[in-house]
Amino acid sequence: MKLDTSGFETSMPTIGFGSSNDMLDGFSTVPSFDLPRTTDFDGFQKEAVQMVKPAKGTTTLAFIFKEGVMVAADSRASMGGYISSQSVKKIIEINPYMLGTMAGGAADCQFWHRNLGIKCRLHELANKRRISVSGASKLLANMLYSYRGMGLSVGTMIAGWDETGPGLYYVDNEGGRLKGDRFSVGSGSPYAYGVLDSGYKFDMSVEEASELARRSIYHATFRDGASGGVASVYHVGSNGWTKLSGDDVGELHYHYYPVPPAIAEQVMEEAAAE
Amino acid sequence: MSIFEYNGSAVVAMVGKNCFAIASDRRLGVQLQTIATDFQRISKIHDRVFIALSGLATDVQTLYQRLVFRHKLYQLREERDMKPETFASLVSAILYEKRFGPYLCQPVIAGLGEDEKPFICTMDSIGAKELAKDFVVSGTASESLYGACEAMYKPDMEAEELFETISQALLSSVDRDCLSGWGGHVYVVTPTEIKERILKGRMD
Repeated sequence: MKLDTSGFETSMPTIGFGSSNDMLDGFSTVPSFDLPRTTDFDGFQKEAVQMVKPAKGTTTLAFIFKEGVMVAADSRASMGGYISSQSVKKIIEINPYMLGTMAGGAADCQFWHRNLGIKCRLHELANKRRISVSGASKLLANMLYSYRGMGLSVGTMIAGWDETGPGLYYVDNEGGRLKGDRFSVGSGSPYAYGVLDSGYKFDMSVEEASELARRSIYHATFRDGASGGVASVYHVGSNGWTKLSGDDVGELHYHYYPVPPAIAEQVMEEAAAE
Repeated sequence: MSIFEYNGSAVVAMVGKNCFAIASDRRLGVQLQTIATDFQRISKIHDRVFIALSGLATDVQTLYQRLVFRHKLYQLREERDMKPETFASLVSAILYEKRFGPYLCQPVIAGLGEDEKPFICTMDSIGAKELAKDFVVSGTASESLYGACEAMYKPDMEAEELFETISQALLSSVDRDCLSGWGGHVYVVTPTEIKERILKGRMD
């Protein structure tokens, strides 16, 4: 299987004024993934795939509207039933005008998004213009396709603004790449879709769209056990992305559904007759 | 996920000075999906004995109905309420009857015995009794609960302080568990009164 290692090659020249430069040592070597040396390669691969299986316990969503792209996500990381973190950054800033969302294996998403950022910057330098959202998502999809079946777990959306306007693509570890207006990824996505689809209009203002995104994430965190923490909302406009809000979902619940103060009732029992 | 984690639950009971507190979460789920946020896990057997069941929700309800039935028969025959120790033995026997096809729940029993002495115990799904002097826990969040209770518990707490302690232990533990939470339900029982309170928790 021919692996696409172009993502790992850097075109940085090794700077050596005679002595080795400690700072650049890490960059000058071409990183590569070793294949494991085991007797049972297939069994080992199967175990590796199973390890990263955590079925994308998260909720992320993104949609295109009149004013650009709205991107939102929760912030919970779970390992089976255990919550390992309530403060994970699931919206990854690839560059000042493009965002990626994280669903699936955290390490996979972080690495490949950063790798994509590098490739985008190289494209800018080589072609003297920014890469389009379509191009960036294609680069990512091709990289992931070459690792198909090896157990990567990535369900991401690439959202950005380029010369053709707002762009949104869904890319996953199978190598699939879909262009669309509305996506939600993760175990909480059915719940988010319910709220998002019923409230969506193309002609929304930025405030209305951000409230819709926040509400969708909140409802997904309420119903889905693997989503929770903080609902972050980002907006991608013609000038790049801005973070609009990061609200704790526990507080959002009581903001949307305040508890009316109840009259405390005490049950007085007769003192036990001895 | 195992069958004990199918519905998700968190239950804890603590001993205080001539009183006890028993608390549970309120979530009923089907694996990761939350179905209800007002599920009753704690049940009163009589004024001085409470049982809370964690585990598979259908067995929680069925076992509770069976135990109430047995206690009512006991009341008719003996013309008095069961002591908590006796009740614990009854639960243990009923669970062991189903040794090769068990009820998939883990009960936590708490009661006030003779001389207002509080009694707590927990059991596994086939009736192994585990008595404790300080606190007992059960459910999907049990490991977090053990840690929280160990850190927060002090012996001989009065009813109000006991309520605060058990509530904090419960809420902080379920906040680390995907499958339990969505509020809390606490009963604090003293010789003169039963105080039932609902806790406002994180709903995610």
